[in-house]
Amino acid sequence: MIYFDNSATTRPSPKVAEVLSRELLSDELYGNPGSIHKLGTKASRSYDAALKKAADLLHCGADELYFTSCGTENTNTVIEGYLSRNRRAGKTVITTGTEHKATLETVKRAETLYGSKTVYIKTLPDGTPDLEELENSIDDDTAMLCFTHVNNESGAILPLEKIVAIRDRKNRNTKIFLDCVQSLGKLPIDLSGMKTDMASFSGHKIHSVKGTGLMYIRKGINIDPLIVGGGQQKGMRSGTQSLFLADAFVTALEEAVNDRKEAYERVEKINLFLREELVKRKAVINSPADALPFVLNVAFDGFESETMLHALESFDICVSTVSACSSKTKAVSYVLLEMGIPRKTAANSVRLSFSKFNTMEEAEKFIETVDKIYELYALK
Amino acid sequence: MSKNVILARMGEVTLKGLNRGKFEIQLKSNLKYRLRSYGKLAIYQSQSRIWIEAKDDENPVFKSEESAKEILHAVTQVFGIVSASLARKFEGGIEDIITNSVEYVRNYLNEHPDHKTFKVEGKRGDKSFPLKSPEICAEVGAAVLENFEQLSVNVNEPDFILYVEVRDYNYVYAGKVMGHRGLPVGTAGKGMLLLSGGIDSPVAGYMMASRGMQLDAVYFHSFPYTSEQAKEKVVDLARIVSGFSGKMNLYVVNFTQIQLDMYKNSPQDMLTITMRRVMLQIAEKLAEKSGCKCLITGESLGQVASQTLEAIAITNEVTDMPILRPLIGLDKEATCDISRRIGAFETSILPYEDCCTVFVAKHPKTHPKHVDIEEAEKNLDIEKMVSDGVAGVEIIEI
Repeated sequence: MIYFDNSATTRPSPKVAEVLSRELLSDELYGNPGSIHKLGTKASRSYDAALKKAADLLHCGADELYFTSCGTENTNTVIEGYLSRNRRAGKTVITTGTEHKATLETVKRAETLYGSKTVYIKTLPDGTPDLEELENSIDDDTAMLCFTHVNNESGAILPLEKIVAIRDRKNRNTKIFLDCVQSLGKLPIDLSGMKTDMASFSGHKIHSVKGTGLMYIRKGINIDPLIVGGGQQKGMRSGTQSLFLADAFVTALEEAVNDRKEAYERVEKINLFLREELVKRKAVINSPADALPFVLNVAFDGFESETMLHALESFDICVSTVSACSSKTKAVSYVLLEMGIPRKTAANSVRLSFSKFNTMEEAEKFIETVDKIYELYALK
Repeated sequence: MSKNVILARMGEVTLKGLNRGKFEIQLKSNLKYRLRSYGKLAIYQSQSRIWIEAKDDENPVFKSEESAKEILHAVTQVFGIVSASLARKFEGGIEDIITNSVEYVRNYLNEHPDHKTFKVEGKRGDKSFPLKSPEICAEVGAAVLENFEQLSVNVNEPDFILYVEVRDYNYVYAGKVMGHRGLPVGTAGKGMLLLSGGIDSPVAGYMMASRGMQLDAVYFHSFPYTSEQAKEKVVDLARIVSGFSGKMNLYVVNFTQIQLDMYKNSPQDMLTITMRRVMLQIAEKLAEKSGCKCLITGESLGQVASQTLEAIAITNEVTDMPILRPLIGLDKEATCDISRRIGAFETSILPYEDCCTVFVAKHPKTHPKHVDIEEAEKNLDIEKMVSDGVAGVEIIEI
């Protein structure tokens, strides 16, 4: 099996599996961190240690992080929570049309829930937002900016520093929410230096397990929680904390941070090789030239996305058409369309996405397979 | 001691003359098959009605109201049944009749809290019973009124009628669940249904089954142009149809290479018709092998290019078997209504490709002539396509 669908999800690393199974079987770790007997205290201490470790790895305070279930929960919490709590911070939310559905649906719902207004900045052909338009759009009424650090379909990297500079120039009170789900473990994440106010991370994209998320809210920013109840995690996210999932996340996070450079170089080579070979084969590369190498969006002439996906699948190669979260409904990628890619090309596009576990041999096998598929199934 | 039983009413079957017995035997056998997972059942008939009860009084599925209702629903899915009711069967005199009637009404009102008026209809088959029918009605009616303050009698337009029958045993029942009518499957031969993943073909199968036809089905699979999910969807649809038509074989034809050959060697605007002609020939061969005497399609006149009169005439030419098209005069809405009623709609509209959509031409010929088809097929080895299609078939038992 060649797995080129790592932006959809990743395989849990052996270390994560090992930590998780050890802890699940442990006699000492199953207590409720909220209990005041010794099992509870043990769980609570271990949980705090996990939080501290995550904070060290991401360069922020442990009191600025919250363990959650996934990226979508984070996005819902920070956007809704900020708008709900800070009604006087402004009514406008600025984002783009190429965001993940979690963001697009949350800002849309916020319009009815909190009376906010959404401004969608144009996306340029390189997948980044039009900064001139951003500059003109931020005003005193702008509550927050919601952007993806790395786009999940194109791999386009957000020019974060420039955006922070524009924000600082136009309205220092405007908050920035950065969706880092696709950038964690691939780009350096230093929350102390990034000047982002809120951020979202997901465990299963970095070889942890599904059901693990981490949310960053900079100290001093108040938001209303999405989930209320027993007041766990300083009231920001009620519900019994899962030490096992927290450790599963932090284990993967540590590996991701430590392996980042090596993984990047490895994947970059794979990406360059594939780009080179694919253009020789009538394929159109949709990902911008300077995109993150972990994502390669490519259109195969004469093959609808789904046809290519199933053909590859029959050779045990997994890729995606549009992002897996929305691909149950047949649609052409809105992200590619927003980037100005013609509908016909977008309809023929698949996304390859890599991880540190992929190899050059797999890339070579992929190219051989594409040749075979052209020979067997091409309609022209 | 009383027990839940099901009373099912036959419709068209009872109009049959000398053949009626055959239809009834088939209907009872179909009921038995449909209810096979509910333990040993006694299915017996009196006049135009069929009674179903557990052979074993301890059979739990008949004891709980919930599962008895499930069986009731299953009974109404069997063609030949017009309606069915859940009844209570017991022995004894008028005291027992009253007790059971009151209890039955209590359950009934839980289900129908809005029902406020009723009447009682009595039938006394056992003439040795000391009370006459009107007297039974009066006694039971009075007891119901006494027990349920919210109810009053309305003999002209009651919300519900409580039937009390005194025969070898006593029975009470009210309300009925409508069935799908039709004739028992197995009384009208067997047909081969061309099943795609769409809305029409499952409905076509359902309609032929409602006339007593047993079904097998054939599906043309074009991996990778159509996905495994598309095939799973067709299997699901076959299962839904077989809920009405009984046991079925689904023949999955590997159609990829055939379709590619056509695509490369025949004109685009005739592709759909050429493809349908080949499909029908493959279906006919499979039909012959499996004992089917006709082909069934979900075509509706004028719905798409291949369903114009000219196109239908040209596709008809390639087979000797009759091709039945039960939807030919229905519009899409009517078909969708049936699809919803039989529980196929939600599955049919799942967005997976079927083999017709991938290869469809932008502007297919809507009024093809003979010369067109001769031209379109001149570079194709149709015979080989058909024999390849038949040879590579996968059979799924539904």
